[in-house]
Amino acid sequence: MVILSVMILNKAGGLIYQRDFHEGLHKLSSNDFLVLAGTFHGVHAITSRISPVHGSGGLEVLESENFRMQCFQTLTGTKFLIFAEPHQPNIDVICRRVYELYADYVMKNPFYQIEMPIRCEAFDRHLMAYLKPKQ
Amino acid sequence: MSTTKHARIGEEVWKSRVDKVNAELVTLTYGSIVQQLCKDLEGDYTEVNKQLDKMGYNIGLRLIEDFLAKTNMGRCNGFRDTAESIAKIGFKIFLNITPTVTNWSADNKSFSLVFEENPLADFVELPDDGRAQNELWYSNILCGVLRGALEMVQMQVEAHFASDVLRGNDSTEMRVELIRIIDDELPPGDE
Amino acid sequence: MSFYFAIIGTRDNPLYTYEFGTSKSGGDGVARFREDQRSMNQFILHSSLDMVEEVQWTNRDLYLKTVDRFNNLMVSGFVTGGNIKFLLLHDQKAEDPIRQFFTEVHEAYVKTLMNPFYEVDMRIVSVVFDQRVRAAARKYL
Repeated sequence: MVILSVMILNKAGGLIYQRDFHEGLHKLSSNDFLVLAGTFHGVHAITSRISPVHGSGGLEVLESENFRMQCFQTLTGTKFLIFAEPHQPNIDVICRRVYELYADYVMKNPFYQIEMPIRCEAFDRHLMAYLKPKQ
Repeated sequence: MSTTKHARIGEEVWKSRVDKVNAELVTLTYGSIVQQLCKDLEGDYTEVNKQLDKMGYNIGLRLIEDFLAKTNMGRCNGFRDTAESIAKIGFKIFLNITPTVTNWSADNKSFSLVFEENPLADFVELPDDGRAQNELWYSNILCGVLRGALEMVQMQVEAHFASDVLRGNDSTEMRVELIRIIDDELPPGDE
Repeated sequence: MSFYFAIIGTRDNPLYTYEFGTSKSGGDGVARFREDQRSMNQFILHSSLDMVEEVQWTNRDLYLKTVDRFNNLMVSGFVTGGNIKFLLLHDQKAEDPIRQFFTEVHEAYVKTLMNPFYEVDMRIVSVVFDQRVRAAARKYL
């Protein structure tokens, strides 16, 4: 499994978590990441509006030559963006697992403030262990 | 979704994906919280109810994510579906009880949950100071949990207890009313 | 047979008392102490506390059997892990039934202690507890 990076957006489109899981990625400044998140949030909203099918969600997958981005939006409006290699299988399973880790180690941490940037060491640790198991 | 399907999901998640703890630990922990609140607020039970509801609300905001992550549920198909999910999946996986959904209002916007058992209230007897029996809603935290959890999935509800066996009523009943569906409004400046 | 039962807290304060008669062999469950005897019961029971405190450290069991005698009356004791004493005044020997009675009361006491609004050494006013003690008395004594 090769996951490049993970981003989490709160329901207002603010970036609350970003982490790389692969070496040699193109680095962005934290400000650029914030802009990127905000932009994606807008694009996601637009895609759900312009959909010809009634009641459609927004953008889910973005594919390019070098990566594939999966957007998983929960019913509460939180978005998980997972960047993986183009042919990574079972990415929806990965999304669900990341969501579970988020529910366990972020939401259940009593000191985490909802909608605020995630600084939970246990979440980092478990995410790392899941996405980048020791070979 | 049919109601048997709810029951099945609840059962399945409860069996395979929930960490169990000793029920008495939960009962005693909750009991000491309520008791301490009563002491700190000097027997102002209306305020105790309010604080319990607030605590529950904060739990609900977080618990909903766990509920969605564990159950893999999609959006509910109407408020009746929501009620079934709360009773047969939500209460099942978090407290291993299944309250009965009943007493629907004609407009399908409010219903009752009737609790045959309530693990929070095992062993409890309300203080006999002549007021607790009429003023304290011992399990009021549950109302807050529902309010918080449903708010996160765009439903504003009002929940309160209508009766409680601890007060000597025949049953324990919570009334839940849908106030409005919160529209997915974009925050200002994010057009 | 007549009985006088009391629960004594850790500061030697009474938490609960109950006077009753046997329900065995056609008994009606009413105590038949002589009138001048009745007033002595509390006194006898509490004076046996010293004996209980002696015996409790040499006995591994919670049930201390008969700890004290006064004329034809006996006092049996039981100490919970939290040092709450159950004392029973009785006028005939009945070791096993009393053990069963104490065990059942102990169970009811633990349930009472689990009530978040009850604190150790508080007087026990719970109706549920009272009913359970009465039921245990009817069942075993």
